[in-house]
Formats: sequence, C-alpha cells, structure tokens
Amino acid sequence: MVTKRIIIGTLIGAVVAGLAAAGTAVAGEPQPWQMNLMPAQSPVMERVHEFHNLLLVIQVGIVLLVLGLLGYIIFRFNAKRNPVPSRTSHNTLLEVIWTAVPVVILVIIAIPGLRLLYFHDRAHEYDFTVKVTGHQWYWSYTYPDHGDFTFTSIMVPDDELQEGQPRLLAVDNPVVVPVGTNVQILVVSDDVIHAWAVPSLGVKVDATPGRVNERWLHVHEEGTYYGMCSELCGINHAFMPIQLEAVSPEAFEAWVEETREEWASRQNAPGVRVAAGDGGADVR
Amino acid sequence: MNQGTRTKSTKTALILAGVVAGMVGLSFASVPLYDLFCRVTGYGGTPRTGPVAEMPEASDHTIAVRFDANVNSALPWQFRPVQREVRVRAGEEHLVHYEVVNVSDEPLVGTAVYSVTPFMSAPYFNKIQCFCFVEQRLEPGESMSMPVVFFVDPEIANDRDAREVTQITLSYTFHPAKQERRIGTGRTTEPISVAATAAGRDENQTTSN
Amino acid sequence: MAYGVAAGHDEHAHHPTGWRRWVNSTNHKDIGTMYIVLALIAALIGGIMSWMIRGELAQPGVTFIDNYQFYNVLVTAHGFIMVFFVVMPALIGGFGNWFVPLMIGAPDMAFPRMNNISLWLTTAGFVLLLIAAFVGAGPGTGWTVYPPLSSATFHPDAAVDFAILSLHVAGAGSILGAINFITTILNMRAPGMTLHRMPLFVWSILVTAFLLLLALPVLAGGLTMLLTDRNFGTTFFEVAGGGDPVLWQHLFWFFGHPEVYIIVLPAFGIISQIVSTFSRKPVFGYLGMAYAMVAIGFVGFIVWAHHMYTTGLGVDTRAYFTLATLIIAVPTGIKIFSWLATMWGGSIELKAPMLYAIGFIFLFVVGGVTGVALANAGIDFAMHDTYYVVAHFHYVMAIAAIFAMFGGYLYWIGKMSGKQYNEPLAKAQFWVFFVGVNVLFFPQHFLGLAGMPRRIPDYPDAFVGWNMVSSVGALITMIGTLMFFYLIWHTFRYGKTAEANPWGEGATTLEWTVPSPAPFHTHEQLPVIGPTGQPRAGSGAVSPAE
Repeated sequence: MVTKRIIIGTLIGAVVAGLAAAGTAVAGEPQPWQMNLMPAQSPVMERVHEFHNLLLVIQVGIVLLVLGLLGYIIFRFNAKRNPVPSRTSHNTLLEVIWTAVPVVILVIIAIPGLRLLYFHDRAHEYDFTVKVTGHQWYWSYTYPDHGDFTFTSIMVPDDELQEGQPRLLAVDNPVVVPVGTNVQILVVSDDVIHAWAVPSLGVKVDATPGRVNERWLHVHEEGTYYGMCSELCGINHAFMPIQLEAVSPEAFEAWVEETREEWASRQNAPGVRVAAGDGGADVR
Repeated sequence: MNQGTRTKSTKTALILAGVVAGMVGLSFASVPLYDLFCRVTGYGGTPRTGPVAEMPEASDHTIAVRFDANVNSALPWQFRPVQREVRVRAGEEHLVHYEVVNVSDEPLVGTAVYSVTPFMSAPYFNKIQCFCFVEQRLEPGESMSMPVVFFVDPEIANDRDAREVTQITLSYTFHPAKQERRIGTGRTTEPISVAATAAGRDENQTTSN
Repeated sequence: MAYGVAAGHDEHAHHPTGWRRWVNSTNHKDIGTMYIVLALIAALIGGIMSWMIRGELAQPGVTFIDNYQFYNVLVTAHGFIMVFFVVMPALIGGFGNWFVPLMIGAPDMAFPRMNNISLWLTTAGFVLLLIAAFVGAGPGTGWTVYPPLSSATFHPDAAVDFAILSLHVAGAGSILGAINFITTILNMRAPGMTLHRMPLFVWSILVTAFLLLLALPVLAGGLTMLLTDRNFGTTFFEVAGGGDPVLWQHLFWFFGHPEVYIIVLPAFGIISQIVSTFSRKPVFGYLGMAYAMVAIGFVGFIVWAHHMYTTGLGVDTRAYFTLATLIIAVPTGIKIFSWLATMWGGSIELKAPMLYAIGFIFLFVVGGVTGVALANAGIDFAMHDTYYVVAHFHYVMAIAAIFAMFGGYLYWIGKMSGKQYNEPLAKAQFWVFFVGVNVLFFPQHFLGLAGMPRRIPDYPDAFVGWNMVSSVGALITMIGTLMFFYLIWHTFRYGKTAEANPWGEGATTLEWTVPSPAPFHTHEQLPVIGPTGQPRAGSGAVSPAE
C-alpha cells in the first residue's frame, strides 16, 4: 500500500508540478463563499453561463416584481388605509395579460434553452475515447485508444493529503486529457447508479448499469478540474471525487506511456476495494 | 345520507376503485410496453435485433462502429472486442468478434447485455445475430469467441439528428447469470453460434476491471 | 332529521366516549384531528432528523455522525416522513377531513368507516417506516429508492422491505381517502352548492384526490416489482436478468411528480381561503383559479422525466419534457397573480394566517423561478443532484406546504378547538420562522451552483461558509418550530373562546356559519346555497347545539 502510494504520488507530482507552473491549477476548484456557477472551461459550460445569466435576470425580475407588488399592496390596501374593500373579482383583460406574458417569457427562455440542449448533445468527431466506470466507491478510467489500459482513481484520505490537495476532491490517480481535443466520454457502472460530474466543464452524466452514456468533452485550458459523484450510491457516496487534469498534448503522451506501463504490470484484480475515507467502514 | 345519495356514492366509489385497479394494471403493463417501446424507438440505446426480412441497399454513408466490452466485477472473466473499430458503409453486413475468457478456477455462467450510443443512432443499428441474453457457461480457463453480425440502416442518412453521427459505439457487459428471468418481458433470445476454444489465455489488456 | 347522519351509522348519533371515540371514530372532525396530531408527531421526528442533518453539515469533517449509512438513513427517513406522514396527513387528512364536509354542507364524509381505515393505515405506515430505520443498517437509499442501490445486493437487510411496506400501507390509506373525498365532493354537496360555487380549498382537495387516485397505484405497482426483485428473484429492474433500473425511475417519477402537486395543491386551496378572508374580498378570477389547479394536476402527469435528465434520455425526449415542464409556469403564474389581484383593492388585515399566506406567495415564487431554470434540460445538468435542487424543492413545496399548514392551523384553530390563538405570539412566531427558513435555504442555491452534491455527510472545505449560514438558519427555524408548539399549548391553555366567525365579513365559507368549536354533528339540516356561494337566510346551516 505504501509503495503504491509513493509511486502514485510521484506520478501525480510530475503532472501537477507541470500544471502548477502554468498557474491555472485551481481554476476548476470551488472557492469559499462562491455564489455562482464554476468558471467555464469548456464550450458547453460557456453556453451554460450565458443561458444562466439570462435566466438569472428573469428570475430576479419576477421575484422583485412580485415582492414589489406585495409591498405596495400591503402598504396601499391595508385595512387602515382602505377600510372599504372593492368587490372586483374579474377583469378579463388582466387575466389574459397574466396568462400571455408568462407564455412570452417562457418562449424567450425555451428558445436558447433548447438550442443549448441540442448543442450539448450534438454528435462530434472524437479524437479518442475515455471510458469512465463507477464503482462503490471510486472511479476507474479506461483508455481504449491508447493501449486499452485501465486504472483506478481513489480519493486521497484526509491523513494522506499533500500540500495543495483539496480535501474530498483530490484522488490518487487523476484522469488526464489533452487540452483542445474532442474526447468522447463513455460512462458505465459496475454496481449501483453513480454520476460522473465535473462542474467547471459542464459535464454530469449518470453511470447506470446496463447502459452506456456518452458525453462530449473539450477542455480549453490546462488545469485541474474537480467534481464529485452526483447520485446517491451508498455509504461512501461523498468520497468518490473526480479529479481531471487537462494537460498539453505532449505531456499527455508522456503520461499515457508512463501510466500504461505502470498499470499493465498490475493485476486488474476484479473488485479493487476502497480504503475508504474516514467513517466509511463496512465496504460491501 | 339518504338512500339515493348512498347508492350514488357506492357507484362513484366502485368506479374510482376501478380506476385504481386500472392504474395498477397499467404500471405492470408498463414493463413489457417500455421494453417494446425501447426496441421500436431505440430508446435508451436499444438497437434493433434479430434477422431482417430484406437487407437494404448499401449506401455511401460511412460510419465508424466501435466496440466496447465490460465485465461486472462479480464475474472473474476477461472480455474484449477482437477489433476495436471498423468503418462500415451503411447497409453493409459485418461480422465482428468478441473474446471472453474465464480466468477463475471454477466454471461460471454469465449473460451479456448491450446498448448502443449515441442513442439517436440506436434505431438504425441492426444486430442480426449476437450472443446477448443467452447464458454462457465457461469452464475454468476456457475462452470463447463470440460473433456479432450487424449492419447500419442507410436510413440514418435521412434522420435530422442521427445523420451527423460519425461514430457509433456498441457496448456489451457480462453479468453473472441470474437464475430467474424477468416475467412478462418481450425480449427475444437470439440464436448463437459459438466457436469455443479450450485454450486458456492470459490476456491482461482487456477492459475487465 | 331529513338529512342527518348517514343511515346505518345512527349509533354514532350520540357521542361515543373515552378511547372508543377516537380509535373507532367515524366522525370526520375527530379523524381530522387525529390526522393533525399524527402530522405533528411525525413533524417533530422528521424535524429532529433535519436538524441532525444540518448539525452534521454545520462544519466539514465528522461533526457528530460518524456512521454514514446512518446519515443516509436520516436523509431517506426525513424525506419519507415529511412527504407521506407530515404534509399529506396534515393538509389532506387533517384540514381536508375537517373542512371539506363543513364547506360543502355535508354532514360527514361519504364513507365514514373507510375514513377511519385510511387514518389507521396511514398511522401503521408511519410505524412501519420507523421500524425500518431500526432494522439492520436501515434504508439508506434516499426517498427515491433507486435500484440497484435499493436491491437485495446492496441493501440486504429487511430495512428496505419495511420501507416499501410502509409506503404500500400508507399509499393504500391515501387511495381510500382519495376515493372518499371524490365521492363526498361529487355526491354530498348541499343543494345549490354547485361545483363552480365550491370554495377553492374544496376544489384543491378534489384535484388532489384525483392525482392520488392516478399516481399512487403506479407507485404501488413499482414498489411491488421492487419487493419481488428483492425477495422472489424477479428481475424487473435488474440488468443481469434483462431488466432496466431506469424503468424504476420512470415509474417512480410518474408517481413522484404528481406527488409534488399532491402536496402543494391543498396548500394553494388554503392560501386562497386565507387571502380572500383577510382581504375581505372574494377570490379574484375564481374560475381561472379552479381550472389552473386542474391544469397543474393534468400537466403534472406528463412531465415526470424532468427528474431524469442525466440518466441518458434521448435529446428529443429531453426537449419535450423541457417544454412540457415550462408550461406549468403558466397556471402557477395565474395563481400567483390572482392572489395578488385578490389582495389588490382589498381591506387587508395582517393577522398571522395572512402573514403566512403572504410568506407562502413569496416562497412559492422564489421556488418557482428556480424551477424554471431546472426545467431546462440544457442547464439542468449543471444543477441536477446539487443543493440548488434541495433549495428549489424546499422553497416550492416543503416550506411552502409548511407555511400553508401553519397558516391553515392558525386560520382554523378557533373553529376546531373553540379557542383562539394569541395574535402577538403567532406573529412573532411567523417572523422567526420566516427568517429561519430563508437563512436556511437561500444559501443552498449558492452551494448548488458551486457544485455541492446532495445527500453527502461531508463536503470540500470551500463549501464551509454557506453551509454554516444554512445551519444557523436551521437553528432559527428550530426555535420557530418550538415557538409553534408552544403556541399550540398556549392556545389550549390560555386561548380566548373563539366566536363562530372570528374573521368578520371576509370569512364567507360555510364553516364560519357553525359555532366554534364545530359541534360533533354539523349540517344535519341542509343549508341551501345561494348564487354568492353563501347560505340563504333561514336555511339550516347551523346544526342545533346538542
């Protein structure tokens, strides 16, 4: 176990050191008191931001409108100021307006919303494939186009965290992709339903047994991007994070070489069991 | 409650009870209906299966078909596609093979399920012959070659979304066999021809994990 | 007694006494009271669970729950209890039983004995759920019970079986209740009380009952499949046997989405009554309000897969569910604006129930606009399964429903108990509670946008700030809740005697024409309803005091 950690640590060290030099290593990590979406680092997420900004304006507008009306009504039509209530209970024009205006607003939302949906789902020419497999409670990644090697990606327990590794987000073996390429992500599960998510890249997809789900991934900038399992999958649901390193194509090739050798020599024993995070006893 | 209201109420209640019974029935009917719906529309990545009456004309529309293999970790088998990718012309029949090895020291029975991605291409992906949903028994160390015969329907070129698809992935997953079969399913089991070789293979590049 | 107590139930014409009055009760008011008591007990248990959850999340790392299966059981049980054993019993079983017969001028429910069975089935369901939490490792599946996590492989204890049985039993009780309500409303209205003169609360219960009738059997079917998968080797949801776990999600959400409206529609009804009463105006756009509820109920059945955008649905399917879901905003918009228009020009008295009604409108709008975001499959995956969703549904249905419960309780407690609550105390309670829930749930939007997943007992350190704020909000909410329980005690101990109609000319529905507390038997002589929806002078709306 200790030697494994050392090997893995060195491996990460190599990749992360390169990234840290680029100075973007924290772009994909949630920040304290963050109030909005993660900064966009992929074409999909950029459009999500645009659409969310539109939604936010509409949402705040509606809430303020209702709040303003409520405030005015309470001020103007309280029993002291308006002792005799009107008996009006119909106004067809008004009723038509408050049916029609929301319809217009919904159309304004639906058009960019559907455009975004179809953009997200469009078929792409892929440069290569990464297969993601969800397990209780870790992820494993397979690179079928690079010698078909598979490695596991397990959360770093609190007491083994290195300097700069965020708690509950850092893993021993991050998944690595080159920047500027179209990567096909295939997501499957080995046991229960999990969900593979990297918020800053605009990816969240369920790992469901019996079916393979496909997503398109394109990372703009080198950096480390974090995510967490996003479907309740049992005791250690909170402890199977995703750490994705986007690196230069050259660094990626080097990483592939190293990792392939490293993992080819290892027995892919079925059912790699997790040394779970604190509190996660009783691994089934 | 007077007599009239009582009769009326009893009648209403009986009708409502009928509605409840109907909804329970519908929920169970949804099982075969969902299955049928998936197979007809390719929903959830369900490709078409079984022999076709007439092969369509081959067209110039070419697509890369990729093959993916998974083994449930409860089953100590290794499973991989022999070819990772083939480029096919729509309408052309193709034969590919998967290879599975029992790396344990006991005989084991597994069944495979499959799906196709992207989903929009599934209704155009026809599997004429495959090894899915048939229990496969492998002796210790035994390996087996499993054929899949398929073609891509040229109609895919006329589908608004699916015509952009350049790459289809066919994915298989082997599970330990369950003894009981699902009740009321309309899934067809397909005929298979298996070329079995007894030679144990030590293959560590497979995707089993 | 021309139209007296149901024939064949004449033995109940006299007061049964002691425990028999309650256990064997066929009286809609007593049964309603027992539903409310059940809801209060369940609310206390479910509430304690939520405070434990917020306590654990107050800071990163292990705060006090070091068994994460137990944490998942808390999350699961909190959801089940609040949905099935707090909101539904209180709004439908409690207020529905109490006031539907009173409001339509019926002497009781159509099937008083079935009403009793409904109550005890619901109670049995609650007990089974509590047992489930103590069997083995408990059900740690979330209230959605998704297989394979809920399968025998991953939850081998009988805990999940108990949870399934609990829902079966409670569901059967609710189905019987729904049949009872529909039959009562369709057949037992007083002369002149046409459908279009019914108070909106009655309309809301009618629509809700139909939703229960159509949605719960599907849940029952799905649960049965899950049960046989777990115990008898079927493979409805098991991939290895040719099943599909996603089918469960379709079945569950086909029930689950209408369930959301089952919770919130009765709340709509209560809010309509309160707003009209305290504005001293009839409800604006009555027909629009009634049919908006019908529309919401109908559309509720064709939007279920918007809970499943990330499971891998075809893009056209997601586009359809996006559009269908967005449509719901139209009838809900009609309701919001009609409430505002009801208040407009009114002579508003800001009594505590009215504060709760206004609070409800605010919460519902905040929860509604985040719902519009979540409806879009194109952006939903950024928020799916994060705290954004948690904030959304707590605003739009959970806390909104609690506001309707508190508002309805304060509005009707005089009628139910004969004692009026203490106004300053109730107002103070409202403000504490209102501030509490907003501090509790609003920061969860930020957490969700930043990507914090739901149902986790520990979180990365970046999320600590807003989680702490949220937990402080939970503390304030807890104080507000304790104040509410104190208010109940205070009402019964020190409450002033309530008049038949404590709210004045704004309260026009039939329950205000009977004395407070409402006598054991009401409307033995039928009121005759005039065109305004109020009883004609001289018709017997008030039963003779016994």
